[in-house]
Amino acid sequence: LPAGGASLRLCSTRATLEGINKPVIDRIIRVDHAGEYGANRIYAGQMAVLGRSSVGPIIQQMWNQEKDHLKKFNELMVAYRVRPTVLLPFWNVAGFVLGAGSALLGKKSAMACTVAVEESISDHYNSQIRTLMEEDPEKYKELLQIIKQFRDDEREHHDIGLEHDAEAAPAYSVLKTAIKLGCKAAIFLSERI
Amino acid sequence: KMAAAGSLRRAGWRLWRGRAVVRCQLSPPQHPLQASAVLRRVSDEQKKEPLASSSQQQFDSHATDHQPEQEPQGPRPSYTGQGGQESEDYETEEQLQHRILTAALEFVPEHGWTAEAIAEGAKTLGLSVAAAGMFHSDGSELILHFVSQCNTKLSELLEQEQKLVQLGEAEKKPTDQFLRDAVEARLRMLIPYIEKWPQALSILLLPHNIPSSLNLLTSMIDDVWHYAGDQSTDFNWYTRRAVLTGIYNTTELVMMQDSSPDFEETWRFLENRVADAMNMGNTANQVQSTGEAVVQGLMGAAVTVSNAETIRAVR
Repeated sequence: LPAGGASLRLCSTRATLEGINKPVIDRIIRVDHAGEYGANRIYAGQMAVLGRSSVGPIIQQMWNQEKDHLKKFNELMVAYRVRPTVLLPFWNVAGFVLGAGSALLGKKSAMACTVAVEESISDHYNSQIRTLMEEDPEKYKELLQIIKQFRDDEREHHDIGLEHDAEAAPAYSVLKTAIKLGCKAAIFLSERI
Repeated sequence: KMAAAGSLRRAGWRLWRGRAVVRCQLSPPQHPLQASAVLRRVSDEQKKEPLASSSQQQFDSHATDHQPEQEPQGPRPSYTGQGGQESEDYETEEQLQHRILTAALEFVPEHGWTAEAIAEGAKTLGLSVAAAGMFHSDGSELILHFVSQCNTKLSELLEQEQKLVQLGEAEKKPTDQFLRDAVEARLRMLIPYIEKWPQALSILLLPHNIPSSLNLLTSMIDDVWHYAGDQSTDFNWYTRRAVLTGIYNTTELVMMQDSSPDFEETWRFLENRVADAMNMGNTANQVQSTGEAVVQGLMGAAVTVSNAETIRAVR
């Protein structure tokens, strides 16, 4: 048997890559990877400020789930030979700044940020699920399953944010709209570059 | 010697490509009716026809033994030839172009990457030299076709090597040696054309060729890294490919100027550049850990100072 799981994975890529709509899958994985990476950094920023507060544990829990998501997309990225977005270093900083910034405005604002981001992400996952279903549900079964699972997780984070008085944050609607707009722009760019 | 090498190469391309079987030359007609079918095929190929699957082409070489009408698959165009007989095999314009360009490669050392070479290639396939009119007069397509073929050959080579490693029949090479061998293998494919390669490079840099040549280059480099086992999903993905592209391009240029036996100087240059790249990676890591250590030191200093201030304020 070949030594090491890594070489098995490399062997499977040729089979995985045949017959799939490469440009569409490319975009999907690239943007999802960027999204999870950004979400990771946002929670890291929030933890840096609110880590020792009462909402620390709940943020940590959500952050751990995002870490799992990121790990999964790293694997998918290698398996499908997808290029990561050039903007990763930028999302690294921007995500952290957004997380830390919203946390500095208060616990409720941090939750509002979470609600906005998670809403954006789950809408985005929904449209990807629609795209893949239109393409070929059978061929993309595994990918669909993963995205559906992650969408449910993000939805859960969204609900947790609401439970923790996100809507009571000062200037909630302004904050939420601004962050959602930022997420849309990030999605647009990460799909392409 | 060149002609023998040329025909061997052509046979090699054919065997390796599998599908582009030159029916006219491999399956001599055994029947006068079929002889005319063959001749008609030659002229038919000049016209645009719908896509034939590659398996169909393989069947066709058997089908010449039987009635020309027998087709193993699917709906065929209702095109009829001169004698009212339907053409049994057809290929797309693209496949025809590929065949002409592959045949033309043999004439490149003599004529350069030019329309003359393409015309000569067309002649060997039994086509008129006017077939060269299908292509750009600067030989761009011929060069791009050649580069694409070399890249495909390289991928197949790397795939074979990977299979051997997986079967346990070969040792997994360390990264630097893998990269060296891959780049050397790819550059060696230029050796038969080395005299005329500088001309090709300058043509590839023409504005209208840059998108295609860049595309071919980046996908080749990506392939090499993929087989080298690169699994980076961060910015390293870009730095590694940029570095390897730099190594490849500079080594290619050195090869143009190299007159040492079997291009020893080039391979030594390559070895040094790859070693530099590996060192660069190590240095980058060292810089990063040093940077982190410095930051931690500063943070510690800041905490100490703020504690000292607090104590002084309390007193």
